[in-house]
Amino acid sequence: MIPIMAWRNIWRSMTRSLVVMGAIAVGIWAALSLTGFATGMVKSYVNNAVQNIVSHIQVHQPEFLDENEVKYNIPDLMAVEQAVRAEPGVRAVSVRSVANGMISSSQGARGVAIKGVEPEEEARVNALNENIVDGEYFSGDSRNPILVSDELAQKLNVKVRSKVVLNFQDRGGSITAAAFRIVGIFDTGNNPFDLSHVFVRRSDLNHLLIPAADSTQSADALAHEIAIMVDDIRNVDTIASSLRAELPGLKVQTYRQISPDLQLYEGQIKNISLIYLTVIMLALVFGIINTMLMAVLERIKELGMLMAIGMNKLKVFLMIVLESVMLGLVAMPVGLILGYITIDYVGENGIDMSMYAEGLENFGMSSIIYFELDPVVYGQVAVGVFLTAVLASIYPALKAIRLKPVEALRTI
Amino acid sequence: MKVITTKGVVKIYNPDKIPVKALNGVDLEITEGEFTAIVGPSGSGKTTLLNVIGGLDRPDEGDVEVGGHDIDAMSDNQLIDFRKEHIGFVFQAYNLIPVLTARENVEFVMLLQNRPKKERRERAEELLRAVGLEDKMDKRPSELSGGQQQRVAVARALAPKPDFILADEPTANLDSKSTANLLDIMARLNEEEKITFVFSTHDQRVIDRARRVVTLVDGKVATDEVREGKV
Repeated sequence: MIPIMAWRNIWRSMTRSLVVMGAIAVGIWAALSLTGFATGMVKSYVNNAVQNIVSHIQVHQPEFLDENEVKYNIPDLMAVEQAVRAEPGVRAVSVRSVANGMISSSQGARGVAIKGVEPEEEARVNALNENIVDGEYFSGDSRNPILVSDELAQKLNVKVRSKVVLNFQDRGGSITAAAFRIVGIFDTGNNPFDLSHVFVRRSDLNHLLIPAADSTQSADALAHEIAIMVDDIRNVDTIASSLRAELPGLKVQTYRQISPDLQLYEGQIKNISLIYLTVIMLALVFGIINTMLMAVLERIKELGMLMAIGMNKLKVFLMIVLESVMLGLVAMPVGLILGYITIDYVGENGIDMSMYAEGLENFGMSSIIYFELDPVVYGQVAVGVFLTAVLASIYPALKAIRLKPVEALRTI
Repeated sequence: MKVITTKGVVKIYNPDKIPVKALNGVDLEITEGEFTAIVGPSGSGKTTLLNVIGGLDRPDEGDVEVGGHDIDAMSDNQLIDFRKEHIGFVFQAYNLIPVLTARENVEFVMLLQNRPKKERRERAEELLRAVGLEDKMDKRPSELSGGQQQRVAVARALAPKPDFILADEPTANLDSKSTANLLDIMARLNEEEKITFVFSTHDQRVIDRARRVVTLVDGKVATDEVREGKV
């Protein structure tokens, strides 16, 4: 009967109860939506980085990563490539030659990483072909085609069909230079990356990297980087371990190892939800305390009577706690459902942040954020609200049990 | 058999500022089956005496024994349990639980006593029938008249099978008809069930029906009159 009393008590002041329930529901909705937004942003950052820059797994010769010199190419490329392609769970593979050098136009020059790619393979690994904003992805017939980003094109004051010159060291250590014609301008949405990378055909780059005098290295077999996309990102670590075992002399890294910031951001998702939850629940605590305190103070005489006729303090305490918990439990599903609907809708349709696109892109995020939420967060929020309701009821409940029946009965 | 004994009970309010002696050495014995009115002018200490006897308030001096127990020696929680098992209360302002129906109000104390559900229900219905509210069992207090609410309060006070019932000005808010009705019910319960009633009142209608009238003046028993044949 005490639960029945508690339940009926919360409806004695319906407006007040509905207001606090509304606050709890909105709080839950806000906690879920904000976490969904933050998760969506982080995932957008990670996905952008994975798709446009780092891919899921990369294979290099260890010295190449330390020294960044073109002479540290992947040995026995054919066998390595075959092993990678044969690995179960691998979706796409792109073999790249990489040189660090300088791009210059008549208006300026900048240091860049020059990636020599097989256009078709590369398109399967990253979305470069989809990120072309002007011109076209490598066209078949032009000589020495190059893709530069719109950011870089602006800095160099060049456009499609403009000529640029690349300078870099060849495998023999000599500086070499060649003219390339811009066939396409891309925009990955990640400004730091866009400013520092250009893409050419691997065969063109390899041709320039191997000095004429060097007969030991064939152009086909020269590559510094193998970028791999897997079918399911959750299997990245397993596939990377398996590749490590198969390719003992090479360094196999997952996107988290290549870009530790991605690991950091991914790791922060859990903390973000807890921080949002804590802040919102703290605000709710005061709302619930206020409501429950009013509920106690306007019932002093009744509480005195209950104690007079034999309801012990523990039961009075539990009744107040139960009333608070019931307020939370009624509001909780409303908030959870509202949150779920919001996350589901924005997860599907995205929220357009294009007015902040420039700022977002500077951080490597896309301008449309799709909400995303780990289902565990719903559970965390539910537990959080329950604990908040219990916590918030303690002070009013203590106030109730400290009443002296004889004094309480005397109140009007 | 004595159910209540007070010896030299003194109760002082505001002992540190302006002390008011609400009770000033009250000696009283109530035996089983009495129908006693404690009367006196306002401020004479009627309600205070009832509170002390009922274990709601503690005397500053003197002893209070209820059913052979020294209630002054009990802790607050022990007192709550003691009241639940031994004392029935009827308050001036009815003081029913507003969110419960008449039946639930009567059942409530038995629930606190952990009585089985079937027994609770049967006894609540039996008591509500006894106070003439068989057709109001599922009404909440707000749907009942003052007289009906006070009858529910009497049924509730009887529910735990207490040693006696303390009623603090139970007719103060009732009209003549309701008062007569309530008094009839209480008198019948006293006659037939031998239930002990102790009232504080200054309602002449109650005083007229009492078998014993204890008059308090300035916190002391001024007169103690036993009247045969009343009720």
